[in-house]
Amino acid sequence: MTVLGGIGFASPWLLTGLLALPILWLILRAVPPAPIRRMFPAVTLLLGLRDDESVSDRTPWWLLLIRMLAVAAVIIGLAGPVLNPQREVDGTGPLLLLLDASWAGSAGWGQRMELLDTQLTEAGRADRPVAVMRLSAPEAPVFQSAASWRARLAGLKPEPWQPGAGQLAVAVEEIRSVSGGFDTHWLSDGLDFDGREQVLSALADRGDVTVFQSPDPVIALRPAQYADGAIELSLVRSVGGSERVQGVVALGPDPSGTVRVLERAEARFDAEATEARLALSLPSELRARITRFELEGQRAAGAVALTDDGLRRREVALFAGRQDREGLELLSPLHYLTQVLVPTADFVDGALLDVIPANPDVIVLADVATLAPPETSALTEWVENGGLLLRFSGPRMAASDIGRDESDPLLPVRLRSGGRSVGGAMSWGEAKTLAPFPENSPFFGLKLPPDVTVSTQVVAQPDPDLADKVIAALSDGTPLVTRKPLGLGQVVLFHVTADAEWSSLPLSGLFVEMLDRLAVSSSAKQVDAEALEGTVWSPVRVMDGFGQLEEAGNLPGVDGVSLVSDPLGPEIRPGIYSNEKRRLARNVLRSDTTLLVAEWPPSVPVVGLLVKAERPLGGWLLSLALILLAVDVVASLALSGRLSALRRATPLIAAVFVFAPDAQAQTAEAAERFALEATHEMVLAHVLTGNKSVDDVAWAGLLGLSRTLYYRTSVEPADPIGVDLERDELAFFPMLYWPVTPDQPAPSEAAYARLNTYLRLGGMILFDTRDADVARFGSGSPNGRKLQELAAPLDIPPLEPVPGDHVLTRAFYLLQDFPGRHSGTDVWVESAPMDAERIEGMPFRNLNDGVTPVVIGGNDWAAAWAVDRDGRALLPVGRGLAGERKRELAYRFGVNLVMHVLTGNYKSDQVHVPALLDRLGQ
Amino acid sequence: MSAPRALRQRAEAQAETLPPLLARAEHLAGTVLLGDHGRRRAGLGDDFWQYRPAQPGDSRRMIDHRRSARGDVQYVREREWEIAQSVMLWVDQGASMRFASDKTLETKADRARLLGLAVAILLVRAGERVGLTGTALPPRRGNGQIHRLAEAWSRDVAADYAPPEHRAMIPHARALFISDFLGDMAEVELALTKAADRGVRGVVYQVLDPNEESFPYQGRTIFESVGGTIRHETLKAGELRGRYLERLAERRDVLVNLCRATGWQLGLHHTGDSAQTALLWLWRSLDGGTR
Repeated sequence: MTVLGGIGFASPWLLTGLLALPILWLILRAVPPAPIRRMFPAVTLLLGLRDDESVSDRTPWWLLLIRMLAVAAVIIGLAGPVLNPQREVDGTGPLLLLLDASWAGSAGWGQRMELLDTQLTEAGRADRPVAVMRLSAPEAPVFQSAASWRARLAGLKPEPWQPGAGQLAVAVEEIRSVSGGFDTHWLSDGLDFDGREQVLSALADRGDVTVFQSPDPVIALRPAQYADGAIELSLVRSVGGSERVQGVVALGPDPSGTVRVLERAEARFDAEATEARLALSLPSELRARITRFELEGQRAAGAVALTDDGLRRREVALFAGRQDREGLELLSPLHYLTQVLVPTADFVDGALLDVIPANPDVIVLADVATLAPPETSALTEWVENGGLLLRFSGPRMAASDIGRDESDPLLPVRLRSGGRSVGGAMSWGEAKTLAPFPENSPFFGLKLPPDVTVSTQVVAQPDPDLADKVIAALSDGTPLVTRKPLGLGQVVLFHVTADAEWSSLPLSGLFVEMLDRLAVSSSAKQVDAEALEGTVWSPVRVMDGFGQLEEAGNLPGVDGVSLVSDPLGPEIRPGIYSNEKRRLARNVLRSDTTLLVAEWPPSVPVVGLLVKAERPLGGWLLSLALILLAVDVVASLALSGRLSALRRATPLIAAVFVFAPDAQAQTAEAAERFALEATHEMVLAHVLTGNKSVDDVAWAGLLGLSRTLYYRTSVEPADPIGVDLERDELAFFPMLYWPVTPDQPAPSEAAYARLNTYLRLGGMILFDTRDADVARFGSGSPNGRKLQELAAPLDIPPLEPVPGDHVLTRAFYLLQDFPGRHSGTDVWVESAPMDAERIEGMPFRNLNDGVTPVVIGGNDWAAAWAVDRDGRALLPVGRGLAGERKRELAYRFGVNLVMHVLTGNYKSDQVHVPALLDRLGQ
Repeated sequence: MSAPRALRQRAEAQAETLPPLLARAEHLAGTVLLGDHGRRRAGLGDDFWQYRPAQPGDSRRMIDHRRSARGDVQYVREREWEIAQSVMLWVDQGASMRFASDKTLETKADRARLLGLAVAILLVRAGERVGLTGTALPPRRGNGQIHRLAEAWSRDVAADYAPPEHRAMIPHARALFISDFLGDMAEVELALTKAADRGVRGVVYQVLDPNEESFPYQGRTIFESVGGTIRHETLKAGELRGRYLERLAERRDVLVNLCRATGWQLGLHHTGDSAQTALLWLWRSLDGGTR
């Protein structure tokens, strides 16, 4: 391929044809357009007239130019021009393709894989052995053929961390251990990381290094924080650049458990700013449901912020033994608890029995000794379903008898009566301090402030299992906090009061941390390492490089401190971790992370990621030539005066071009006409079955019924309309007559959807299988089977044969049966409610409130109703007078049906008329 | 093909143009209300003129007994003197007339024959004698003459431009010349002056195609006469328009002057216009002469 001015040509020799253009110019210039012969009787008047100018015998220059351009476009087009021709990459020897393979590159992972593919293709062409290595998960580079690597390309995945010190050390070692030199193509993700220089120098020792790095910024989301009633999100990007708006979505389960977008907002990066902030104010119910925030369009682990307990505000119900002392706020046993919980929890107020159905997370009973039996059972059930019952002792509990002799279900331990008091004015000994927390305690790792003392407490009975239940003790070994599991939940007892009367514990920071560890409160702040000391967190779900959560499987637990402070790596993956009831999210970014662009030394060539696809231009040029030739045709016609013929054809051409929108307009117009026709008067409608004779009879039948209605009632319908279920709007018609033929096509899904809407909104369909003479309803005649097939997708309620007191029997005429052309007895309507009972003295039951959505029968009513335009009956019914009587009854059924459709249960309500009249008389 | 059959076939081919032309001409003539052009004095005729007292010399048969029986005086019923005029028609049968610029338009020949025949029908109904100029069909009365006229006009002439027939003009008769007058004007002048010499007066009616009036042509064009005998090539037809229209106006001036000198009337008709207005105009101008 020859490259001329950035455009490659497949067959450049064809371009010499361009040399012929000037010759063509001269030839074309000399040839005038061909004359037209015209018959013209007045030619005698023209004889002797000479043309003024002699210029016009030459083709005008612009026409020549068009033709020249067309010819030039053909020549160049045939020469096979290609934009962005791929240049062969020079170089021989082994090639190492090094990827950062961190989360930062996963947003553009497809692009990277494409580039990698191209590189592998080229290396394959040059027959170079290739090794692919990921810095985030380094393995020894194995130089193989490019084809074998291409096969494995799909398996390459980015990791959700940046290459750390450990991985880089391995990588450098592996690189140094490769024997012989090789060139390197480094696909950087664009972010800087420590130790990059060492890798670079190790690579530079072995051969040339080329870096492929996209100039686009990497955008990431820091963990969400809750402050001042709003969720604060902070976005960072690696390159300042221009102003940019980035959508952020909050995802979480909706009430049915499906994960949905709960909220969407937009963050704005100002020009040159690398950080954007966003505050989301959400109701706490919604906020508690959010499981993750994502940046729209950024499929990367860094663009996901998982939420943990930090966003979840627990609902706490507080109860104290003595609530009736107004004005003594500071003496309230709940004062300190309230102070601790206000920033992090929502309170549920109300009586205990009212609160429990609201299912709070925690119920705190401060010095509540006795509970009523229903309260006890409700509370027990609630705890067993996962609630946390937190009890504080106090004078009342000490004075009461609960848990004395036998273990109370709502107390973790049995209590001795009276409790004990130490360190007071009347007692021996000092006030007791706390002992260090045992390892199995949830409080393990908390620092003990020296000034926390306990002077009074209730004392647990030394039962055999007491030791298991103690999670905090005093320095002399007396239990201070005991706990026992109950069902899915647990009961925790502080052996001191919730206020400062018995101990100074509620005054200390330790109290806050203990409640935090018990997940009574949840920290809104970023968890610090110290608070997690001594805890082990097991991964629940971890993220992959694309930000998708996967089950953690059997990944090992992680120490709390390292979970928070250590850099991410194969050991600490971003994801959700849990410890007891608490959950902690480790995100890719921390709240103070900034993204730095990787800068490369000038000696290393840096190439953009974009692979410019080869773009053949031949087709475009040939099309251009065709267009130019078309223009030339028109222009030539115009010049030679033959455009008039074309002008005459213009409407035709215009019609061709305008055809599509016109057709659309026509359908819209037709729909509008249909709507007008259907609504200017009340209109009966039948479903078009596609069988012409059936449709005609249906139409004639409805015409007969319409006329009967017109003569006899105040319903004055216009001529009936045949309805195409696929096309026509149904909402205009009070009822549809649907004759069933065995061969009619079933309506489409969309048509069924509209039929169901029609039925739900009060429409009625009269199904007529027209075979009552030979088959009873549902007995499996072809029409009956077809009816079952047709009606299966319809939203039809349970049916029953028309009961004797159905409104249909008296909507206008009093009827006992409903003959059509046949006099089958089975006519089915929506069944009456189960509880409809006949009231003494009332002639009818109070049946359905509303119109039956379907009436199903087989009496071929349309045939009995059918009349021609002159009002003569089309089809015979029965014989003689009896037949005429039958036809009359058929009409009466039709009238009743339409009355029922139009007036609903109005006639049913008339059973009340005597009562109403009676009342009026008074 | 045997001679009789060929003759029959030709006759059928001829005849099939006749009825439509006749029918259309009858239809067109039916739109004009006929008014008799009496002489406004007593004479031979069908229409009542006046009763006058019988005079000596009146034969007995002339006495109108119905009128006389009302009184003692005997009356004679006089009729208006009505004379039949001879009207000679000439409709150009040249090839130049067989031209229509558009499919929707009639050819000039069709229009000219239609008008001629319609005028003839009207004249025959009015009791005039109608015929062709020249010796082929001298003026006669009666419906048969209409058929003969129609037959005569169904024959095309091959020549491009047919000169007006001016032989055997009946003195003091009236004449109607329908043509496009695009041929040699000398012939026209000759015919008109000759007619004027004989006291024949009448109407010159020019029928033109709309395109001959507007000359809407563009570009390189070869213009040919219908017979193909004359042609003219131009590279820019649009440039010729002005000069062509000038020449057309000149020709019309010639006709106007000629008519003024001879006392004939000149009318202009385009095939794009309604035939009925043309017929009305023709009828009025012919009728006007008889008053």
